[in-house]
Amino acid sequence: MKSLLLVVFIALLAACSTTPYQSADQIQASHSEVLAQLPNWYHQNLGLQLNGGNEYPEQQALASLLQQADLEFMRSNFQACQILLERAQRISTREPSVYVRLSYLFWLENNTRSAEQMARRALALVVRDEEASAEVKRLLLAIQANQY
Amino acid sequence: MKNMNSSRFKTVLSWALKLSLVGIVVLAILMAYLDAKVREKFEGKRWALPAKVFARPLELYPGLELKPKYLVQELEQIGYQRVPNVVTPGQYSFDGSEMDVFRRYVTLYDGEEASARVHMRFAGGAINGLWLDGEPVALARLEPLLIGGIYPKHNEDRQLIKLEEAPSLLLKTLVAVEDRDYYDHFGISLKGIARAMLVNVQRGGLVQGGSTLTQQLVKNFFLTRERTLVRKATEALMAILVELHYSKDDILETYLNEVYLGQSGRRAIHGFGLASQFYFGKHISRLSAPEIATLVGMVKGPSVYNPKRRPENAQARRNVVLNVMHDQGLISDYELAVWEKRELDVVQYSQYQRIEYPAFLDLVRRQLRSDYADSDLTSEGLRIYTSLDPIIQRSAEQAMSKRLEQLEAGYRMPKDSLQGAMVIAGTESGEVEAVVGDRNPRYFGFNRALDANRSIGSLAKPAVYLTALRLPEYNLITPLDDSPIKVSGSNSSVWEPKNYDKQSHGIVPLYQAMSRSLNQATARLGLQVGLKNVVQTFYDLGAKNDIPAYPSIVLGAFEMNPFDVAQMYQTIAASGFQTPLKAIRGVTTQDGQLLSRYGYDVKQSIKTEPIYLLQKIMQRVVKEGTARYLNSQFDASLNLAGKTGTSDSQRDSWFAGFSGDQLAVVWVGRDDNESMPLTGSSGALRVWAQTFKDLPLKPLYPLPTENIVEQWVDVEQNAISSEACDGAVQLPFIQGRLPLQTLDCVQEQTPDTGKSWWSRVFN
Repeated sequence: MKSLLLVVFIALLAACSTTPYQSADQIQASHSEVLAQLPNWYHQNLGLQLNGGNEYPEQQALASLLQQADLEFMRSNFQACQILLERAQRISTREPSVYVRLSYLFWLENNTRSAEQMARRALALVVRDEEASAEVKRLLLAIQANQY
Repeated sequence: MKNMNSSRFKTVLSWALKLSLVGIVVLAILMAYLDAKVREKFEGKRWALPAKVFARPLELYPGLELKPKYLVQELEQIGYQRVPNVVTPGQYSFDGSEMDVFRRYVTLYDGEEASARVHMRFAGGAINGLWLDGEPVALARLEPLLIGGIYPKHNEDRQLIKLEEAPSLLLKTLVAVEDRDYYDHFGISLKGIARAMLVNVQRGGLVQGGSTLTQQLVKNFFLTRERTLVRKATEALMAILVELHYSKDDILETYLNEVYLGQSGRRAIHGFGLASQFYFGKHISRLSAPEIATLVGMVKGPSVYNPKRRPENAQARRNVVLNVMHDQGLISDYELAVWEKRELDVVQYSQYQRIEYPAFLDLVRRQLRSDYADSDLTSEGLRIYTSLDPIIQRSAEQAMSKRLEQLEAGYRMPKDSLQGAMVIAGTESGEVEAVVGDRNPRYFGFNRALDANRSIGSLAKPAVYLTALRLPEYNLITPLDDSPIKVSGSNSSVWEPKNYDKQSHGIVPLYQAMSRSLNQATARLGLQVGLKNVVQTFYDLGAKNDIPAYPSIVLGAFEMNPFDVAQMYQTIAASGFQTPLKAIRGVTTQDGQLLSRYGYDVKQSIKTEPIYLLQKIMQRVVKEGTARYLNSQFDASLNLAGKTGTSDSQRDSWFAGFSGDQLAVVWVGRDDNESMPLTGSSGALRVWAQTFKDLPLKPLYPLPTENIVEQWVDVEQNAISSEACDGAVQLPFIQGRLPLQTLDCVQEQTPDTGKSWWSRVFN
């Protein structure tokens, strides 16, 4: 009888919960799905081509921080990743790839509101680059549709 | 007779016994009470440790615009010593183009930075090469400046040390000078009391106390400084109880951390750990013998023997202590002879002799209030890492005081009649980098940056024009009527705004009405677009106060404080993306565990296109409008944008301006709210210019979207024109909101292709 009550209670809790329950395996799976969705530029060129490549000296600092941020991202150290991205933002306040990364980060953390806002910020910054703009728009649509 | 005497004696004896019994019981109760008090203090948390607040760590990288003089200033402020060649952490050298900094080990909220040699090469006011321990690197961080503390009510500050950290010479000297029998007595020293009595009788007054170190500690911990017998007796009892419970080492360590050793402004310096940093800029373990003598000498009278304020007294007292050290065999004859002649060598400027930033600290405290109780902030030794930029803060403080003095002199206003406030923040990050709340930046009092609610005057106008530009009917050259206007209100009141020059300017294009800050045209526009829409725009920009939908709000006849104004202008400067202004990055425990972090957050509250047009107008305000003074002060390529503001009867002078990376809002006015002979242009704008004159700024490039087109137009005729037509100017428009008419000149210039004007424009 006691076990039955416990099962009913857990079922009730699960039903009331706003976030669907995810097992550790499921979380891992969703992480890898997001990582798989990251566009090529994210991995290969740190996304710097979005803002015209390494033509400014401070781009070295920016690249270094983004590289470290990517590493933390891959390790699922999201807080460390976000801190590094914020440092990058202070150095290059209008670097779209920083905001794109922040968007992915928030998305992965299930914070779709912030993910969408970061993507919008990136979109406002890449508007003259058609290819990059298309990438960010795809990201924005995916976030809005909540599709990993 | 004999019997009577015997009976009286028995009665007296009986009473004496009874009284003694009562006395013993009372004493026992008192002892139990004092014992509980002693144990509670010693076994609980002995000290309330104030939170320490840090500025941002300076991030160095090739390409960073940084004048070496500012870096030198910051290094000096964080207590680095300039030397010809660096050999230990805490030193730097600079030869005019190359700088070597031996960085100390740094803990930050996001990790730590090891001690390392940071080498920089400067060229053209920027870093163009960076090496860490000889290896070229892209980045290096310096330790952040300690900018203040959040103190408990007595403003006690201390840096706790362990007994093992204190040099044995310090312990021996302290004991020799203050309590020679320390290791032999049980809390009170009968020998010490007898010696003190003898001296006092010889000198005919109270010149020497017989207090042991334990008694001094008890007095500081539990009792007042009054000299009464009851207090002395209680002190003696408590000293015995302390000695009963705790070891000599434990008591000595507590004493080292508790003793009061001077004052720095409102801050009370407690303990040898902080005192050695404060007076000598070094850790206690590195103190030299004469420095030890100076500090031990201060115990007798921290004010009288303060080496910074009364160096002669302090030097004489130090020499007395050096002689005691010599008598005890702690130093040699030669050392005594040399050290007696030595200067005190106190540091005038160290990390611990800090400049405090009251207005910024006030903001930090308020922003922490939602997450931390006051008692946590004043007692747990938390470390709070903020975004304050000491270079920008210093520039803002100096600009404020210098310019206000000049304005008072120039306009023959009474000295010190003007006040001012300023908030500076990163346009995108929303991080507050400087706050000035008073013309005296060290003043802990009314913080005008956060609490002075004043009429914002024309700083409200961008919201009115933005409201129009959000509507499809308006573009930059929409003709506005600047003729006189009267609006009847309730109670037969009439609102009749006038232009600053008391003139009417007829029909003016929208962008000029704002860049020239025309009141009549703005009032008409505000009523046309709807007051509720204007109020909504204020809220979308980030305004938090209640703004009533009265006609006069379009000219800023409502109050806001500089911080809230800065929040509104941040949204404009960041292309419609609102980021809550924040002063804190992270909070850790005393040992570096991250407790909370305040990361970047953003929300698009206004579409990018109308903000783009608004930024363009605000650039014109600087280029040719009310803020054109900036043209003479800054490189035109910075494309600065801003808005001046003057409230009714010239009671408030405002300027809000921004570059690509910095936003600053300045207010100048009088605390008694009297009129001034100042406008936004002649007052606040000058302070803004002075602040940024010597600081690096990034150019402002408004962000166009694919919906923005650049079009040649004839402003007067509100028509599409072409480059070749007379009087044509090129202006940005949102797609679909171009002027409806096209000049004949355009058709003459353009071969007829059979396409519509629309197609011709966009092909």
